[in-house]
Amino acid sequence: MKVSRAWLQTFSTAPLPDIQALSDALTFHAFEIESVVNGVLDVKVTPNRGHDCLSHRGIAKEISAILNIPMKDDPLRVPISLEPIIDTVTITIKESALCSRYIAGYIRGVEVKPSPDWLKNVLEAIGQKSVNNIVDATNFVMFNIGQPLHVFDALNLAQGGDSKKIVIRRALKDEPITSLDNRQYALSDSDLIIADGLTGQPIGIAGVKGEILTSVKNSTRDIVVESASFDGASVRKTAQKLKLRTDASQRFEQGISPELAAYGMRAVTDLILKVAGGELVGFADEYPVPQSEKQVAVSVSQINRILGTLLTEKDIADAFTRLGLRYKLREASPRGVFEVAVPFERLDLVIPEDLVEEIARIEGYDKIPSAELPALSNDPEISGNYYAEETIREDLISKGYSEVYSSVFAEKGEREVLNKVGGEKPFLRWNLTYGLKEALERNSRNKDLLGLKEVKLFEIGTIWEAGKEEIVLGTVGEKEKATQTPLSKLKQGAPAPQYESYPISNTEHYRPFSKYPFIVRDIALWVPAGTESGTVLAAIRKEPGTLLVRSELFDTFEKAGKISYAFRLIFQSFEKTLTDGEANAVMENVYKEAKKRGWEVR
Amino acid sequence: MGFSLAEGPLLESERYNFDALNVLKDHPSRDMQDTFFIKDEPGYVLRTHTSPVQVRYMEAQIKERIKPPYAIVSMGKVFRNEATDMGHEAEFFQIEALAVGEDVTLANLKGTLARFFRELFGGTSVEVRFRPSFFPFTEPSVEVDMRIVGEHVTEKLRDKWMEMGGAGMVHPNVLKNVGVDSEKYQGFAFGFGIDRLAMLKWGIDDIRLMHSADLRFINQF
Repeated sequence: MKVSRAWLQTFSTAPLPDIQALSDALTFHAFEIESVVNGVLDVKVTPNRGHDCLSHRGIAKEISAILNIPMKDDPLRVPISLEPIIDTVTITIKESALCSRYIAGYIRGVEVKPSPDWLKNVLEAIGQKSVNNIVDATNFVMFNIGQPLHVFDALNLAQGGDSKKIVIRRALKDEPITSLDNRQYALSDSDLIIADGLTGQPIGIAGVKGEILTSVKNSTRDIVVESASFDGASVRKTAQKLKLRTDASQRFEQGISPELAAYGMRAVTDLILKVAGGELVGFADEYPVPQSEKQVAVSVSQINRILGTLLTEKDIADAFTRLGLRYKLREASPRGVFEVAVPFERLDLVIPEDLVEEIARIEGYDKIPSAELPALSNDPEISGNYYAEETIREDLISKGYSEVYSSVFAEKGEREVLNKVGGEKPFLRWNLTYGLKEALERNSRNKDLLGLKEVKLFEIGTIWEAGKEEIVLGTVGEKEKATQTPLSKLKQGAPAPQYESYPISNTEHYRPFSKYPFIVRDIALWVPAGTESGTVLAAIRKEPGTLLVRSELFDTFEKAGKISYAFRLIFQSFEKTLTDGEANAVMENVYKEAKKRGWEVR
Repeated sequence: MGFSLAEGPLLESERYNFDALNVLKDHPSRDMQDTFFIKDEPGYVLRTHTSPVQVRYMEAQIKERIKPPYAIVSMGKVFRNEATDMGHEAEFFQIEALAVGEDVTLANLKGTLARFFRELFGGTSVEVRFRPSFFPFTEPSVEVDMRIVGEHVTEKLRDKWMEMGGAGMVHPNVLKNVGVDSEKYQGFAFGFGIDRLAMLKWGIDDIRLMHSADLRFINQF
């Protein structure tokens, strides 16, 4: 979520530190920061904090706790009221499990027009397009405190006697709706909708998107504002199914407190009256089962037992106070128990461990000492499979095989993946031999480059065959057919009482290799007896420089006081495909160099 | 260090891959990992992490009436339904560790990780840093960063904080789900990408090389 420093500043009298300091504070105590651009942080709010932190208020609260800067007028801690209560709008919740609260606010005589500059600017700063004063007011409140809101044009809601009727119900099978951006959707009975109780027409996909006819237009005068609380799982399913993820649905998906709906309604009506004028008629609030107050208790010893710290009662009390978590410290035995009253918006605080995390991150994870794990009493078991695999590896590698890993995805197989990105090779392989043969073919071409006399490969991998998953050993070589054997058949007896030492590779650094083809040239030279092959090779190497990627002495014999050395030279460029002509030119220079030293090219 | 090696299948049930790990159905946390589903086999996925092995192991121990302490390591292939590029593969390797006992702490996690990285990277000094994070199966949850200091450390690695992976204290619900008394026992778990560890250690620039079966790559090690 995009969060602007200027917006955060509205929650504090004391000046906030610069944006980098805010970024660091959040990184080490709350959330990952994806980017910092022009005074705007992109905060990666974790799924457990969507309840309260997909809002500037939520992030401001975090900053306040982390940096110990008091918050000014926390909008969720000021007393509010929704009055007067009216009956000119009535609300019926047919699915109370999917909608825990629905508030409608009725305002008459607004003027829809462009937003004042301050409102435009704050929204544009976080990448939101300004639409008009009404829509902008709802967006401002959503980004300010996290409550999604919607506005209906009251004139397009049917009037029955004295009142308009709003019903929250499941959609009918194939019930059509046109969204406010003029797209058609066919709904099903797993979707929750808002409907006009008089006409029966859908006027909104609950928590996801509004409907076109009842949306706000330039001509709109009277409005009904919606602030509601919809079930996260239900909104998520609908949004996923319709491929319609909105700022609203993202917030509902995480679960939002129904208490927040009242704060959202109060804030948005106040703002609309300010920026669009009009007269507040009143509110209808259907809230069958109010959210109960929750307490979670955690003791000083439990916190220290989990974290491995020596935090004091005072440290913990201080962290809770900064987080705005009201607590009672139990005086009676057992002492040192904090009974924390969980604020309504913190739906993530359920068990003592949740509070332990709050303490840990506010104190700072750098305060967690590093302690050796005490020896756990059991003797470690030796894994039969792993032991067998390692034994096979050692054996095959000593016989000149190289180990490969190839993809489990294949063009054929018994079992198929339902949703592979790109759709290629959707099957799970039913053998290793196909992949091994393919790998052999590719590697054989590079035999000279690799300096191998024969390419031999093995893979220990999983296959899916005859309805079961199995680990098998597959081998292949240029002189042997590809075969595979289940690992279970290769295991011999019980594993040893302990593993051998399996050291990791001594290689210091990986060297990238050229993707271009290579060229092979052989050269044989007569040199005076007593000349080392290394001396000859050094002379040969001088000319081609980095183009010579491999050289190998493959033949030596002595005759009449002279030695013949034969070398295989591999040329390859990192920049391009070498031509025969280029290789020949290099060889010409090598010959010249040899002749200069009086060596005879055979 | 007394850890046993444990294994589990690659084609895994949603129960082990998600539900038992406190990753609730229809919750956004389920989206944190893009999952491969299997045609005509509802309820089965290609495992998205090695964590289901924790659940399988603990469940098996409890069935045998063996109580903690437990300490296991699990290594193997895991899958994410993503487009591939130099830094992303749809299949990669993970290494996972779990330690459960009466007093296994977050401080022990830090100490264990420091030892693990020291052995792996051979730096004279290794520092481990935690950042807050969220995983449904741990509470508290952390991201692990590592920094190695030392003259012989390659310049690419020296004195730089590097992201290694996720860790935390096992969520009590995970212990409860397998029948371990979460009032009495607690523990830590971590899971890192092995490919990423290798890329850092040897300066490998493309993760796809790991599954390339290309000896120009493999025979360097």
